[in-house]
Amino acid sequence: MPNERIAVLQGTLDLLILKAVGDAEFHGLGVSRRIELITHGAFHVTPGSLFPALHRMEEAGWLSSEWGESENNRRAKYYRLTKLGKRQLVAETDQWKRVALAMGSALKAT
Amino acid sequence: MKIRLGSVLRNFLHKKELEKDLDAEVSSFVEMVAEEKFAAGALKAEAERQAKAECGGVEQVKQAVREGRSGVQLESFWHDLHFGIRQLWRNPVFAIVAILTLGIGIGANTAIFSFINSVLLRPLPYPDQNRLTMIWSELGNSSRAPASMFELYQMRQRSKEFDQIAGIWVTNRALPGKGDAEQGKAGVVTSNFLPLFCARPALGRLFRPDDDLENAPSTVILSHELWVRKFGGDPKLIGTSVPLGRLSAVVIGILPQNFRLMLPEDASVPPNVDYFQSIPIGPWEPDGPAFLHLVGRLRNAGRLAAAQAEFASVAAQINGLSGRTSIANYHLYVFSLQDDDVREVRRTLLLLFGAVAFILLIGCANVGNLLMIRARQRLQETTIRAALGASTQRLIRQILTETLLMVLLAGALALLLGWAALKGIVAVEPPSFAHLSHVGLDLRVLAFTLGVALLTSVLFGLAPISVVRHLNLAEDLKRGGRSATRRRGKSATVLVAAEVALCFVLLIGTGLLVRTFGNILHVNPGFRADNVWTLRVNVPDYKVLREVQRSLAELPVVQSASTVSHLPLDDAGNWYDYYWKDGAPASEQNTMMADDRSVLPRYFDTIGAQLIEGRDFTEADDAAHQHVAIIDDVLAHQLWPGEDPLGKRINVSDSPKGPYQFERDWVVVVGVVRHVQCHTLTAVIRPQIYLPYQLAPRPSMSMVIRASRAAPDIAASVRTQIAGLNLNVPITHLEPLSSVVERARAESRFLSVLATLLSVLALQLALGGIYGVLSYSVVLRTSEIGIRMAVGAQRMQIMRLVLVEGFVSVALGTAMGVVLSVVSMPLLGHLLFGITPGSLQNYGLITTALLLLSGLSMLIPALRAMQINPVAALACE
Repeated sequence: MPNERIAVLQGTLDLLILKAVGDAEFHGLGVSRRIELITHGAFHVTPGSLFPALHRMEEAGWLSSEWGESENNRRAKYYRLTKLGKRQLVAETDQWKRVALAMGSALKAT
Repeated sequence: MKIRLGSVLRNFLHKKELEKDLDAEVSSFVEMVAEEKFAAGALKAEAERQAKAECGGVEQVKQAVREGRSGVQLESFWHDLHFGIRQLWRNPVFAIVAILTLGIGIGANTAIFSFINSVLLRPLPYPDQNRLTMIWSELGNSSRAPASMFELYQMRQRSKEFDQIAGIWVTNRALPGKGDAEQGKAGVVTSNFLPLFCARPALGRLFRPDDDLENAPSTVILSHELWVRKFGGDPKLIGTSVPLGRLSAVVIGILPQNFRLMLPEDASVPPNVDYFQSIPIGPWEPDGPAFLHLVGRLRNAGRLAAAQAEFASVAAQINGLSGRTSIANYHLYVFSLQDDDVREVRRTLLLLFGAVAFILLIGCANVGNLLMIRARQRLQETTIRAALGASTQRLIRQILTETLLMVLLAGALALLLGWAALKGIVAVEPPSFAHLSHVGLDLRVLAFTLGVALLTSVLFGLAPISVVRHLNLAEDLKRGGRSATRRRGKSATVLVAAEVALCFVLLIGTGLLVRTFGNILHVNPGFRADNVWTLRVNVPDYKVLREVQRSLAELPVVQSASTVSHLPLDDAGNWYDYYWKDGAPASEQNTMMADDRSVLPRYFDTIGAQLIEGRDFTEADDAAHQHVAIIDDVLAHQLWPGEDPLGKRINVSDSPKGPYQFERDWVVVVGVVRHVQCHTLTAVIRPQIYLPYQLAPRPSMSMVIRASRAAPDIAASVRTQIAGLNLNVPITHLEPLSSVVERARAESRFLSVLATLLSVLALQLALGGIYGVLSYSVVLRTSEIGIRMAVGAQRMQIMRLVLVEGFVSVALGTAMGVVLSVVSMPLLGHLLFGITPGSLQNYGLITTALLLLSGLSMLIPALRAMQINPVAALACE
C-alpha cells in the first residue's frame, strides 16, 4: 500500500465520487477502488465516509441507484450520475480548478 | 427543497425497506472485500476478518448513513422520546419523585406569584389609577387619621395639585328595601368619590354635585350584589323611591358587578359596600368630627412630591384659620394609592414568595442530585452505547430529551397544582387578600419556573457527559461501571448542605409563625367569648332596645343580655373621635382619638370584660342626670398616670338629642374596664370610651347574650322570644361571639398553616436528599467498606464512617442556615406576636429537631453499610 495516502479534504469527497463514477456505473466497492485508482492510491475512502456520502448525494438528486449483479454474481447496488449530478460535476470541477490555481499561486508567492 | 421534503417523507414512510437495502448494501460491500482477499490468497476465515476490520464496523457505517439522512433529527427525536419514556417507566420511583418534586416547586411558585402579580404589580382597576392618592392626617397619637368636612372643604379651596379631593366613611346602617330592616354597610361619600373609582355604573348614573343641594331629593346608589339580592336585579328600579330606615331614597344607579373598593386597612373601608349615599361638603363646623377618609386625584401623575409639599403648607394654613381650634402636630400626608393599598399585604406576600422559591431551589437541588446519581448508575450503559457507535452529541441529545420530557410532565403537574392552590387560597379567604376579586394563574410565571427547572435538570443531567467524553471505553467496561467513585463527593455535599440551609431558614420562620399563632390563641382579648351569642338589631329608640334586653334576660338559659354599638373584633364601620381631659390647653384638644362605644348596663358582665374599678352604667345614667362615661385602662393610664381617674372629667363627642346630632360634651368617669381588643387580637389601636346608650343613641346595635351553659339551640329561643314581643324588631347575624374571634385569628391561622405545609415539604425534600446521597455513597463505597472490614474494621466504625459523611453536609448546611436566618428573620417582625425573630429557644428547638431528623434519615444507609458482607463485596469487584 502506498505510504503517501492522504486524508480526503473536507468538501472534496463529493467531487471525487462524481468524477470517479463519471459516465459509468459502480457499486460501493467499485467507487472506492476507482477513487484509489484515479488518485494513484493517494486517497483511500473508507465505507464509513463513502456510504453516507453516496446516500446523501442520492438524496440530493445527483446520483441514482439500482440493484444489479456483480461480476461474481453477487447482488450489489449500482450508482450512476443523474443529469443534475453531471451538472454538479462540471460546476464543482470548475470551482476546484479555481481554488487549486489560487492555492498554487498563494503557495508560490515569496 | 422539493426533493429534500420528498426524501424526508420517503425516509420516514419506507423506513423498513431503506434499512433492509442499507444492510444488504453494506454486507455485500464487506463480502466483496473478503472475496478480493480470498482471491489474493488469504484463508477464508482470515479474509473475512480482515474485510470486517477494514470496513470499521458494519453498525457504525450504517449509523453514519442514517445520520446523514434527511429528517434524521426528527426521527432520532422520536427515538429519544421513546427511549426517555421507557427509561422513566423502567425506573418509576425516580420518575415520580423527580416529577413530584419539580411539579410541587413550580406549582407553588406559580400560584404565589400569581397573587403577587394581582396584588402588587397589576395596576388597580380604576380610571386614572396612577393619579389616585390617599391623604392622611397626622395628629396626636394617630398618624393615619381621617379628616373633618371642614378640613376637606379647606383642602379643596387651597390645592392646585389635585383636581379632585373626595371623602368616604363606611358605617353600619339599615339596608334599603322593604321587609325586615337588615343591617348592611353604607358608604357615606362626597359626590365626587365614586367617579374616581368607577368609570361607568352598570345602570343609571353616579352622584353629581347637584345631589348635594339643600332641597335635592335623598338619593342612593346600590352595589350590584345588593340590587340582585334585594331587588331581583330589576332594571326598572332606577328612578324609583325605596324605603331606607324610617325614610326613603331614590335609587339613581347600580354599580358594576365586580366593583370593589381597595383602600388601605386604616381607612376601615370594606371591599364590598352595600350602598352609597352622598353628603355635601362646606365650611361649616370648623371643629366638627373627623370621619372622612380622603382620596385625592392628582392633576398630573408625576407630581406626587409636589402634592406632598403643597399639603405640608395646606396643613399649616388650615391649622392657622381663625375660628378653628389649632391642633398640635397637625400634618397632612399624601401617598400613592397603589403603594398605600398594599402596605400590609406586600411583605407577607413577598415572604411567601421567598418561601416557595426556597422550595423550588431545594427541589432543583434534589432533582439535580437524583439525576447525577442516576447518570452515574447508567455509566456502564452509556459506555456501552458509546462503544457501539453513539456519538457524544447523540448521547447529549438523548439526555436532553429525557430531561425535557420529565420537566414537561412536572410542568403539567404544576399547572394542576398551581390551579388547585390558587382555588384553595381564594376559598380560605385570608383577610389580607380580601380585596382580590379574582386571581388568574399566571402563565408567564409557569414558563419562567419551568425554565429554571429545565436549566437545573439539564445542567445536572449533562454533568456525567463530561465523564463520558473523557472516558476510556475499554477500561470502564472492564470495571463494570464502578469507576467514578472518587469523582463523586464534593458537589453532592454542597447540594445537600444548601438544601439543609434553605430548609433550616423555612423551619425557623415557621417556628416563629406557629408560636405566634399559639400566642394569639391564648391572648386575652379583654373578654370571654365562650357561651356568648350576638345578633344585630335596628332599633327605633331606647325603650324598644331596653324591652328587647329585658325579654332576652328572661330566657332560662340566659345569664345576662346587653347591647353595644360595635362588637369587639368586628370589621363594622368604626366610630372614633377626639377626647381631651379637663384643663387640656387648646392645642392639645382635637389631637387624641378614642373608639366611642354606646352600651346598655351589664354589657361588661355579659361579654366578660373586667371592670377594674368604679361602677357599671345604670338605667339612671341618662341625659337628664349627670353625664357619665366608662373608660378603659389604656386611656386612664394615658390621661392620669398614677392617679385615680374616677370622678375626673373628659370631653367627648356624644348625641343626647338623637342619632347623628353630635355635640361636644363633658362626661364624668365612673368606671375603668380592661382594654377590649376591638380591631385585632394583638394590637392596641386606640383607647376606648363607653357611653350609656341614652347619651349616644345609634340606629344599629348588636345584642350580646351570655348563656349559662353551652346552648347550641339558643338561636331558636332567641328568635321566638323577640318575635313574641310584637315590636317588629328584625334580627340578623345571629352567631356566637367565638366566630367573630375565629375570623380575627384567620390571618395568623392561614399563615401558620401555610408555613407549616411549606416547611414540611422542604424538610421532606431535604431529608430525602440526605438519604439519597448517603445511600448512593454507600453503594459506591461497597468495595472500600468491604476492604476495611476485611482488614478488621468494626461494624460501629463503618457506621460512624457513613454518619460522619452525612453530618458534614448537615452541619455545614445548618451553619449556613443560621447565618441566613439571622439576616432574614427580622423581615417577619410585623407578623409576629409574643416572640422575637431572634428567639434563642426557637433556634435551639429547630436545630435540635433538624439534627435529629437528619440523623434518622442517615440511619438506614448507615445500617445498610454495616450489613455489607466483606466477602461478597470483594467478590463483586
